[in-house]
Amino acid sequence: MKARFSTLSARSKNSALKTYVSASCLVSAGLVLLIFGLMLVQSFPALSEAGGTLFTTRWNPTDNQYGMLPMLYGTLVVMLIAMVFAVPIGILAAIYIAETRSEKLRRLTRSALEILAGVPSIVYGLIGIAYVSVWVANGLSLQTGRLILTAGLILAIMILPTILSLTTDAILNVPRDVRENAQALGLYRYEVFKDAIWPVAKADIAGAALLALGRALGETMAVMLVIGSIDRLPQPLYNVLSSGQTITSKLGREVGESAFGSTHFSALVLMSLILVSITILLTAASQHFFRAGRHV
Amino acid sequence: MNNKTLNFTILAICSLALYGCSRPEIVSISGSTTVLPAVSKAAQAYQNRHGQNIIVNAGGSGSGFNQLAEGQTDIGMMSRDITEGEIARFSQHVFTPIAIGRDAVVPVVSSEIYEAGVTQLSFAQMTDIYKGRIDNWNAVGGPDKEIFVIDKESSSGTRQTFFEIVLGDKKAEAAGADLVIGSNNEEQTAMTQSDAAIGMLSLAWLNEDVRGVSIVTDIGVIIEPTLENVANGTYPISRDLNIVVRGDISPAAQGFVDYLLSPDGQDFVQNSGYVPVNKPAHSLEQ
Repeated sequence: MKARFSTLSARSKNSALKTYVSASCLVSAGLVLLIFGLMLVQSFPALSEAGGTLFTTRWNPTDNQYGMLPMLYGTLVVMLIAMVFAVPIGILAAIYIAETRSEKLRRLTRSALEILAGVPSIVYGLIGIAYVSVWVANGLSLQTGRLILTAGLILAIMILPTILSLTTDAILNVPRDVRENAQALGLYRYEVFKDAIWPVAKADIAGAALLALGRALGETMAVMLVIGSIDRLPQPLYNVLSSGQTITSKLGREVGESAFGSTHFSALVLMSLILVSITILLTAASQHFFRAGRHV
Repeated sequence: MNNKTLNFTILAICSLALYGCSRPEIVSISGSTTVLPAVSKAAQAYQNRHGQNIIVNAGGSGSGFNQLAEGQTDIGMMSRDITEGEIARFSQHVFTPIAIGRDAVVPVVSSEIYEAGVTQLSFAQMTDIYKGRIDNWNAVGGPDKEIFVIDKESSSGTRQTFFEIVLGDKKAEAAGADLVIGSNNEEQTAMTQSDAAIGMLSLAWLNEDVRGVSIVTDIGVIIEPTLENVANGTYPISRDLNIVVRGDISPAAQGFVDYLLSPDGQDFVQNSGYVPVNKPAHSLEQ
C-alpha cells in the first residue's frame, strides 16, 4: 500500500513538472514571436510612408527622409573590423592555451576571461573615449579618434573573451583517442593539431566566431560613445578613419527623441527589425556549426 | 463584527495610513543638459531644506518633453521652445513653459585656434563653415589648418537655437560636420581633444580649453559673449531656459517650481553661469 502511494505521487509530481517545463518553454517562444510581431507592426508606417527614401543616405526626420544606408554600412563595417582583429588573435591564443599550457594555467586564464566578459559595456565605452580614441587620434594625427575604426577596435576587445574561451573548449572537447591515434602514427606535434584536432574542432570554432559576431552586432553603449554618430557614408567608402553610425548607436541616440507612433519611431523600429533578423540568422548559423561539430 | 475581523480591519486601516504617510512623493525631472546644472543644484538645496525627494536626469530637450508628456516625469527641462508638432501630438494636455533664466549659445573654438587669432566670427562665416563651404581656418583669419566641425544632435536645444539664429533654419543640415555629439559635456570633451575644432556651447560651459569667440555683426560691431551682454540683450544668440509643466502638476512639483523662481532658487541659476529672470540686471557680477 505504501509503495503504491509513493509511485502515484511520483507520477503526479512528474506530470506537474512536465506541464511547468512545457509552459515555460511556450512562454519563451511566445515572447520571441510577440516581439517580432510588434516590430513588424510598428515598422509598417515607415515602409508605407517613407519606403522610397529608406535606401538612400539622407536621414532627416523633419523632411521625412529616412535613409538607412549609412547605418547599415556602419554596422557591417564595424562588425568586420572587430572580427578581423579578434578572430585570429582569439583562435591563436586559444590554440596556445589549450595545446601547450597546464590544466592549472588554463583554469586561471578561464577565470580571467570570465571577468573580462563580465565588464559592463559602458566601461569599455568610457575607456574608449578616454584612452583608445585619444591614442588613435594621436597615433594617426587626426582631429578626432571617434571613428569607425575605433569602434571596431573596442568591439574586438569586447568579443575576444567569447572567441577565446569557446575555441579553447572546442579544442579540449576533441575526443582523446583522436589525439592519441595521431600521436601513435608518429606525427609531429603541429601535424597532430593540424591534421587531427583542427578538422574535428573547426566547426565548433566557426560557431564560436559567429556567436561572438552576434554579440558585436548588438553592442550599443560602447559603440555609441566612440563612433562619432554621423549619418554619412565615408568618403571614399573604404575610409574607416572617418566617423560613422551603426544601427545600435543611431537607436541609442534617437529613440528618446522620437514620439511613439510617428514615422520617425517606425523607421527606428524597422532598423532594429533588420538588426534582429541578422542576429537570428547568425544564431541559426552558429547552431548549425555546433551541431555539425557534434556529428563528427 | 467578531473580534478577529475587527482586528484585521484595524490592522488594514493602520497599514494603509502608514503607507500613505511614509510613501515619499518623488518629483522627477528630466531634459536639457543646459538647464540641468541650475536645476540639479537647486534640487539638492531644496531637498536638504524640505526633505522632498527630487530626481534630476539628463536626456536633452526633446526627450525632456516626451517624458513629461507621457507622464513619466513631473517637470521637463527645455532649452528651446515646444514645437507645434509636439503640442499637437499630446493635445489632450496643457503644457506651460516657465523661463527660469536666460542663456547664450556661444560659438567655441579650440584654444590653439583662438590663440592663433580667431577671436571673432560673423554669422556668414559660421554659416559657410557649417554648410561645408569653408573648410580651412585660413579663410577666416586663422592658421592653415583644416576646420574640424562639431555638430550636435538635431533635437538639441543648443543646436536649434544656434542654427535658427545663425543659419536661419533650426533644422538645417550641416554638410560640413565632421562629428555629431549629444550633450554639453560630450561636446566639451571633443573640443578639448581637438586642436582645430569649432562647435557650439552654452555660455556656462566655456573654459580655458574651450574658448568662446565674439560675434561680428553686419555693421562691424563686435559683441563679446559675456553675462552682461546676455542680460542687456545685445548678445544675439540667446534663449530662455525653460522648465515645462503639465496642467495636472502635483503639489510637490509645484512647490519646487515656486522655489526655482524665488530669489533663493534664482541664485542657483546665476551660480551656474546663466542670467536669472527674477533679479535686476545691475546685481550681476561675473
